[in-house]
Parts: sequence; C-alpha cells; structure tokens
Amino acid sequence: MTAANDNHSFEALTFGLADEIFAIDAQAVREILDLIPVTEVPGARSFVGGLINVRGKVVPLADLKVKFGMKPSETNIDTRIVVVEIDLDGEPTIVGLLADKVYEVAEISGASIEETPEIGMKWRPDFIKEIGKRGNDFIIIPDIDRVFASE
Amino acid sequence: MNAQTDPAQTFREEAADLLAQLEEALLGLEQAPGDHELIDTAFRALHTIKGSGAMFGFAAAAGFTHHLENAFEKVRHGDLAPTSDLIGVALEAKDHIRALIETPDEIDAGRGESLLARVAELVASAAPQAPRVPSPGKADPASGPATWRIRFRLAQDALVRGTNPLLLLDELRTLGNCTLVALTEGVPEMEDIDPTGCYLAWDVILTTEQSKATIEDVFIFVIDDAELTIEQVPAGTDKLGEILVNRGDVAAEVIETAASNQPRLGTLLVKDGTVSEDRLRSALAEQTHLREVEGAKAAAAPPPAAGSIRVPAERLDDLMDQVGELVIAEARLKQLVATSHDPQVKAIAEEIERLANGLRDTTMGIRMVPIGSLFGRFRRLVRDLSKELGKEVALTMAGEETELDKTVIERLNDPLVHIIRNSLDHGVEDTVARIRAGKPPQGQVHLSAVHSGAQVLITIRDDGKGLDRAGIRAKAEEQGLIPAGTDLNDNELFQLIFHPGFSTAKQVTSLSGRGVGMDVVKRAITALRGTVNVTSTPGRGTEITLALPLTLAIIDGLLVRVGNGRYVIPLSAVEECVQLPIADDLRHTGRNFLNIRGELVPFLRLRDSFRSTLAADPYQKVVVVSTGERRIGLVVDQVIGDHQTVIKSLSKLHADADSFSGATILGDGTVALILDVGHLVAASHAQELRRQAS
Amino acid sequence: MAKTILSVDDSASMRQMVKLTLSGAGYDVVEAEDGRAALAKAQGLGVNMVLTDLNMPNMDGLSLIRELRKLSAYKGVPIIFLTTESDAAKKGEAKAAGATAWIVKPFQQEQLLNVVKKVLGS
Repeated sequence: MTAANDNHSFEALTFGLADEIFAIDAQAVREILDLIPVTEVPGARSFVGGLINVRGKVVPLADLKVKFGMKPSETNIDTRIVVVEIDLDGEPTIVGLLADKVYEVAEISGASIEETPEIGMKWRPDFIKEIGKRGNDFIIIPDIDRVFASE
Repeated sequence: MNAQTDPAQTFREEAADLLAQLEEALLGLEQAPGDHELIDTAFRALHTIKGSGAMFGFAAAAGFTHHLENAFEKVRHGDLAPTSDLIGVALEAKDHIRALIETPDEIDAGRGESLLARVAELVASAAPQAPRVPSPGKADPASGPATWRIRFRLAQDALVRGTNPLLLLDELRTLGNCTLVALTEGVPEMEDIDPTGCYLAWDVILTTEQSKATIEDVFIFVIDDAELTIEQVPAGTDKLGEILVNRGDVAAEVIETAASNQPRLGTLLVKDGTVSEDRLRSALAEQTHLREVEGAKAAAAPPPAAGSIRVPAERLDDLMDQVGELVIAEARLKQLVATSHDPQVKAIAEEIERLANGLRDTTMGIRMVPIGSLFGRFRRLVRDLSKELGKEVALTMAGEETELDKTVIERLNDPLVHIIRNSLDHGVEDTVARIRAGKPPQGQVHLSAVHSGAQVLITIRDDGKGLDRAGIRAKAEEQGLIPAGTDLNDNELFQLIFHPGFSTAKQVTSLSGRGVGMDVVKRAITALRGTVNVTSTPGRGTEITLALPLTLAIIDGLLVRVGNGRYVIPLSAVEECVQLPIADDLRHTGRNFLNIRGELVPFLRLRDSFRSTLAADPYQKVVVVSTGERRIGLVVDQVIGDHQTVIKSLSKLHADADSFSGATILGDGTVALILDVGHLVAASHAQELRRQAS
Repeated sequence: MAKTILSVDDSASMRQMVKLTLSGAGYDVVEAEDGRAALAKAQGLGVNMVLTDLNMPNMDGLSLIRELRKLSAYKGVPIIFLTTESDAAKKGEAKAAGATAWIVKPFQQEQLLNVVKKVLGS
C-alpha cells in the first residue's frame, strides 16, 4: 500500500507513455524539448541508454517505460523530452524523460487522488507515489526519485 | 557584505596561511638551525599574527603569540638557539594559536599556560651567545653593501720591517669585491731605487658589507706609519668626470671645459697634464668597478614580490564553465566558417580560435596546483607520528612540482594520510628490529608524483617489512572473502586489503588498524576515477601507487567514429594512428595483434566493444594509445580529427559505463563520449591474460 | 714546507702555550728564553717570523729587535712583540726599533693565530 488519502493537490505535467498517462510535479520540470539527437552510451543500462545536450549540459536520457515494464516503442513526431530535476543520492540532478506525448499542466486535486489499487497492477507499487484521476483516466504519479535510485 | 569583506574572516584565512608557513619554517629549521631565512620567516609570521590579531578582535591569540614572537626575536639576534626543544614547543604553540583563532570557545587555557611556561624557561636558560672567534667584522645589516675608495702608501722602510703589503691586499680582498690599481708615480729613477724600499702606493675600490672600522682593522699594524685614506664612494656615480671630481683629482670646472671639447675626457685630461696617468687609470678602474657593482645589484635584485589574491573556488568554477562554453561555441563557429569563402570571416574566426585557446590554457593553469603543497603537510605528520611511535623515519619526496587540479589535490589529502599512517604504523619496523634485520636504523618513506600519459601517478613507498601475505590470506579466508585454497596472484591478494573491515593488525593502535583506513582510501580514489595498485616484498617494503586521470576540464582530443557513434580519445594518450592491415582485420578468432615496426601491439575492436550494428568501413583505422606502461590499438571506423574537448562529467547514472571517463559536446551540438583509455587498456590486458590461461 | 717561528719568552708557560698553539696550526716553532739565546739561534737559522716578549733578562725584547734588524737576513722578516695595555710608550719604541706588529697581553689562542696569519699569511 502506498500513499494514503492526502488532501493536497498540486500542479503536475501530464504526459503519455504507451497507453498510460503519467504526471510529474510541475515544480520539478525544467523544460520540454522536441526530440533532439541522442547519443547512445554503450554498456549503460537500457533505462538510461542515452545522453542529450540541454543548453550545453550533458544530460542522461531515461526511458521510464523500461522501469514500468512497458514495451519500448519507436519515436515519432509527438515524442518529447521532459527535462526534470530529481534527487539522486541526495544530489539534485538534471535528467531527461522520454515522453510519447505531452499533454498539459493540470491541477491534480486531492479529491481525485485515490489509493493505489493493488490488484492487477502491472508495475511495481513502490515506483508509484499515488494514482490520480483526470476525467475518466487514471493518472499515474511515479515516485521519480525512487525510480532513479533503484538498480 | 559577504564573508570575503569581513576583516575578521580575512584575518582567519591569512592566519591559516601564516601558520602553515610557520610550521614549514619550523620543520625546516629543525634540519638546518642556522638558516636565517627560515628564522626570519617564522618571526615574521608570528609578528603579523600578533599585530593583525589584536586589530581584528583576536586578543587572546595576539597575547599568546606575543610571547612566542619575543622568543623568536631573540633567535633572530642569535641570543637564543633554535634547539629541537624550542621547535617542539613552537609547533605545539602554533597549534594552540590556531585553536585560539578558529575555535576560541573550546580553548584549553591550561595548555596555553603550560606552553608559555615552557617558552619562558627556554628563553631564560639561554645565555646570550659569546662570539667564539673574533670575526672579521660585523656586517651592518641596515646599510647593505657600500663602495669604498681606499688609498694607502706605506712608509718606505715598511718592507724592511717585515710588513708585506700583499697580505694587506689579500685581506682587503676577503672583505668583498675589489678592484686594485697600483700607483707607480712614487717609484724613483732606476739609479735612485733602494731595492728594500717600498715606493708603490695602491688604490683599492672595495664593495663590501663590512663597516669602515673593519677596513681600518686591516691596516692596524701600519696605520701609524702609512698614508691611508678610506672614503665612501657614493653609489650611482659612474661618469669618469664625476669620479675624478669626487676624488679630488680634478676641479669640477676643469671637467666641464674638457668634456665640452670632445672626444674622450680621460685622454684630454692626461694630455694637458691636468690628471696624471696613474690617477686616470685608477679613476677608470673605479668607474669599471662601480658599473660592475651596479650591474650585479640589478641582476640580483629580488623579483617584485609576486602578488596574489584569494578567489572563492566557486568563482573559479564559474569561470571554467564559461570558458568551456566559449570553446564549444568556437568549435561550432569553426565548423560553419569552414564552408565559408569570406576571407575576412575566416580570419576573424581564426583569431577567435587563438584567443579562445589562450583563455583556455590560462584558466586551466589557474586551477592547477603543484602537489608539493600537499606533500609538504605530511612532513609534520611523519615527524609527529615517528615521535609518537618511537620509530625513526625520514620522509623524502620527488616530483613536488607535478601539477594537479586543485579539487583533486584536496580530495587526496585524507587517502594519503591513511596510507602514510599505515606505512609508519605497520610497515616501518622499530629501530631495534631494523638493525636486527640489517637495515639502516632510520626508516624511509618516499612520496613521488609524476605525469604519465593522461594520468598522474602518485607513489608512496616504504622500506619496512612489507605486507604479510600469509596473514592477509588467512584473514581473507576467515572473513569469507575468498574460498579457502583459492589460487591468487599477488595483485589480487593485495587488493583484498581494500575490503571494508579488513585488517591484519594484531594490535589496534589509535592511529590505524581498525581496518577503516584502506577501504576508505579505495573509495576516495575510485571517486576520483583513479586506481590503486599495491606491490610489496617481504622484508624490503611496500609500494602503493595511485593512478589518477588528469581531470583537466578542457583537453585536446582526437575525434573518431565507431559505427554511428562518435567518440573522443584524449590526445595525450594517443601515440599514433595506423591503418589496420586487411590480414589482421580478417582474422576473427585467436589473438588480435598487429605488428608495428616489429612490435606486437594488441588491439581492441571498438565496434565489438560497443556493439555497433552499422556495417564496418572497409579500411579500419587503429589509434594506438598508451597508459605509459602498456599500449594497445583501438580499432575505429574513421579518424575524424582534432577536437577541443570540454570535459563534462557523466552523472552517477552512468557510473557503470566504465569505458568512458566523461562526455563532451561537439560542434554540431551532439554529445560525444570520451574514452577512458586506462580502463580500455586494462580490460584488454585482462582479456589477454584470460585467453592465455585458457 | 712549513713556516718556522722563533718564539722568545722567559716564561716557560708562555712558551708552552705559544708552541702548542702555533705548532697545532701547522707551524714549526723554535724557542729561546731570552734575547741573547734568541739572537744566537737566529744567526744560525732562517726563520719566517719572530715572536718576542719585551721584558726578558740577558737582552730584552727591544734590543733583540734592533739587533735582528741589523742582520741582512732579517730585513723583511716580520717581528711581533708582546705588550701590555698600559705599555703604550713601549709600543712606540718597539716600532721605532723595527717591529712589524704586536699582541696585547693577556690574549687568547685565537687572537695569536689571527695576528700570525695577518702578518705571515696562511
């Protein structure tokens, strides 16, 4: 069981990975880029297989699909890179997240936050902070720091 | 107002510097007690700390330092000898001063009292030193060297009475730089000469630091009967006319008249009999002498005190970042301009490249610090440790001028302290054991640093009893680190000591032995992307080598292409580029070696290492790289060219990609990885060993 | 070849001290206890330097100096005499007699060596 029913709401950037919708705290988002050339890192884990240039900084590019057991897919014109700041081993680090589609910054309110249903989960519960809802869709709010901290 | 403009903070930093200088001077003085420069350095440091301390509110520190300053004032005057006792107290006092400045709330007042008492004791017991030998003269430090004109003519019967004028001249020569002129005017005609008579007079121009009294002393036995004048020559005179006037040989007006009638003053004056040849010759000699002295003074003048300023490290980092971006932008400009036909634009682009490179070099130079500053700190450590352990140990160093990035040096401090402590505690034996083993009673610890390829190698070597192989083995098996009976070579065995919690010390001393040391060392070095290597000979000693990549932020790189990816190889590691012969290329199994001028060089196909899927270029190139010890060839599809590489470190997420030491941004904005040559060479070597073993 | 010094003094302890000091410094020392003995020795022997006290029986120092200067072989040989602080007048006389240099009593060994070196060279 993860997060309890908190009565908070926050602004989050919503984006799509395969058929799911994810959301990440808008405060953590630095910028959103179109797909730019990615340099492959031979020998790296598939989760962080590439590097990109963000305003002169060399930034690792991560594919959340790998961590959530989704099939990797081809990039297309909708693909975006969401550049976020995460906490890695106590140090603030800039990383890029591949997104198949970027939606909008939405307010995910307390009312729509429900406890993670345990049954039928295809992904690791401890990677999920909470589940929200937007209209008829469930929105997955990943625990980004934990996702990156794991092996 | 930030921390930088707070005078108290500035004083603290200044004091830290001064205390470091003081310690160095004291340690040096222990080895060379007669060295006045060191005494002066120590005194000045104390003097400044006392003075400034009082001004900025560090009254306690100033008061305490005052007593030490007094003691060293006495040392300066030769009233108190810098004995080992005094130096020992001074070193402890230095620590106390530091505490008074940095942690004034945690001061142990009793300690301060006892230190001062010891200083007072030493000062009181020292009798003013009696001069042992009547010295040739007391140099007056305030005046510095002066030039004198000495003229003497001995009594005619001086020789008969046993006076030897040559001895007088010899003695004058010992006082300083001399120019002698013998004056022959007094020599009579041949028929009138008494062979035992003394007819010569001498002019001696002497530049000396000694006083006039000392010069007069030379003539002590003849002064009553000789004509002697000793006059000081004002410095800066070097015009012949002036000299003649000063000497009273010629009146000033005469000089003016003669000088206005060219050509040479001297000739004129002699010609019209105003000045005798003798006198002219002498005056010319004085002129030459004075010019030499001025010349020597100018040459020996100390260089203008090198000023330096303190800069917050962050500002330096910011500067480095900006220079890095400039270099990247310049690379992109270069790419664009390459296709341009405008000569003006090309010229400017070249100029910008030159300036950017210059800026890069200068900025990098700022961050580089000689490792000697780090090594120097260990002299105190070794001294204190050897006293504490009751062992005699000498610390020697080499390569102190080897430069490293400032941040790296800071992070090396703790690991090196651990290693040196281990050497002293467990490596070097006590005097008795050493003598029994036929070794010199004094143990040796040697630190050295040297650049090798793209790395810095720092070695710590001791001539102690070496590592206990059996002991290490036993402990490792006991801790389950290796299964019993495993075959291990020395290298693998020694690497075990870096495991956390490992320690074979029978006695856990306060210094080391809890096994905390070595694994921390390994982690620190690994964090710097370096490696630790240990070799040891039982009974002879142990040598630990740290190999660190030169983390220069901007390096010259060679850009290559392997498949679809581009990579940078640090140019400092590159020896040459050759083409891979088709025959070697086609060989798919067995060893990968190619023959370069008779030497077999192993090669590594980066296409395979990086699992490139693109079809290989028909003519593969080999970039031969070296780590200083080993060379291998890296096979690539294409060698693109030189590239100014601004090194960006990889995040922790890519810490496991150990073929790469960093990344950079190319002219077209894409990211290229920088190859870690050391790692690739080691991997290739390991592979080779495995192949041989199978 | 070592230089030879003729040491003249009626005090045995003085002669001993001089001999020890100077021979220790590499000089050969020939001794005489008064002026007459010294003159006799001097005529048969060539020396490089003479060191003499002034107050001696059987020919005092002043006379010795004068006599030595009459000898052609001794023209140019340094003669050092011993004098006391209070004896300023004697100094003048000795110099007039032809002495080269002097040492003031009491003196240390160092001082003796310094003067010898000054007058004789090393």
